[in-house]
Amino acid sequence: MLPKFITTSLLMGFTLSVSAITPQDLLKSYEAQSSKASSNRGEQFFNVKHGKEWSCSSCHENPPNHDTKHIVTGKVIMPLAPSANPTRFTDEAKAEKWFKRNCNDVLGRECTAQEKADVLSWLMTVK
Amino acid sequence: MTPMKIKYTLYVAATLLLASASAFAAKMAMPTDAPASYDAECASCHMAYPPALLSEQSWKNVMSGLSKHFGTDASVDAKTQAEITGWLMKNATSRQKYSETAPDNRITKTTWFIRKHDEVRSDVWRRAGIKSASNCGACHIDAAKGNFSENNIQIPAK
Repeated sequence: MLPKFITTSLLMGFTLSVSAITPQDLLKSYEAQSSKASSNRGEQFFNVKHGKEWSCSSCHENPPNHDTKHIVTGKVIMPLAPSANPTRFTDEAKAEKWFKRNCNDVLGRECTAQEKADVLSWLMTVK
Repeated sequence: MTPMKIKYTLYVAATLLLASASAFAAKMAMPTDAPASYDAECASCHMAYPPALLSEQSWKNVMSGLSKHFGTDASVDAKTQAEITGWLMKNATSRQKYSETAPDNRITKTTWFIRKHDEVRSDVWRRAGIKSASNCGACHIDAAKGNFSENNIQIPAK
């Protein structure tokens, strides 16, 4: 009985540690696919337009450390900086989904691992 | 006027009032069984529109073009897409009045929407507190609960 309980607990702990990540983990993963992140480059990338109508900051504002509003619908968007919203960048699938959607909106293509690393490293410095 | 006549007049007035109130009371309650994905995938960018605002065919059209969703990429994985589409279609309007296939898949381009809002001036739509016709809750303060009653509107002054 006891061994089974322990095994179950271990398995559950293992599952949790696999699905929950930290922004640092995600940053490392993007850096592993590219090279060292530059938060200066990330800040620049976040705040300029890339040939289309919007920048990242059109909806998330700068600095993205407070509730903001979607530029078209006015819907409230929670802060993007992990310092203001600890749930940000703790779910890899969710982060990837939003990078894909929002990069398509802002750049008309998906972002590279380097661009994601840069932006994330800057967001992690936002107070 | 005799007391009898006064009573009758009051009765008629009350009936008319009730009739007009129910004609204006647009209720589109959110079904209680919305999948969590509806909130996570759709309501991140706009309010969770009650499915009864569109017809089955309109929802099908909206959900088949999510990668180009009114100027944004709102794509979801196949499993989530099937889940949300099924739920929207099951709860789509069953009322003739709302049954048209929405032009450009937009609720705001349906005949009934345009008629219902024809007194709203264009500068009112542009106010910062409203921004967009898709922002139902800016004026319909209980829109999230599916209450679009004309008695329950507060138009932002700015």
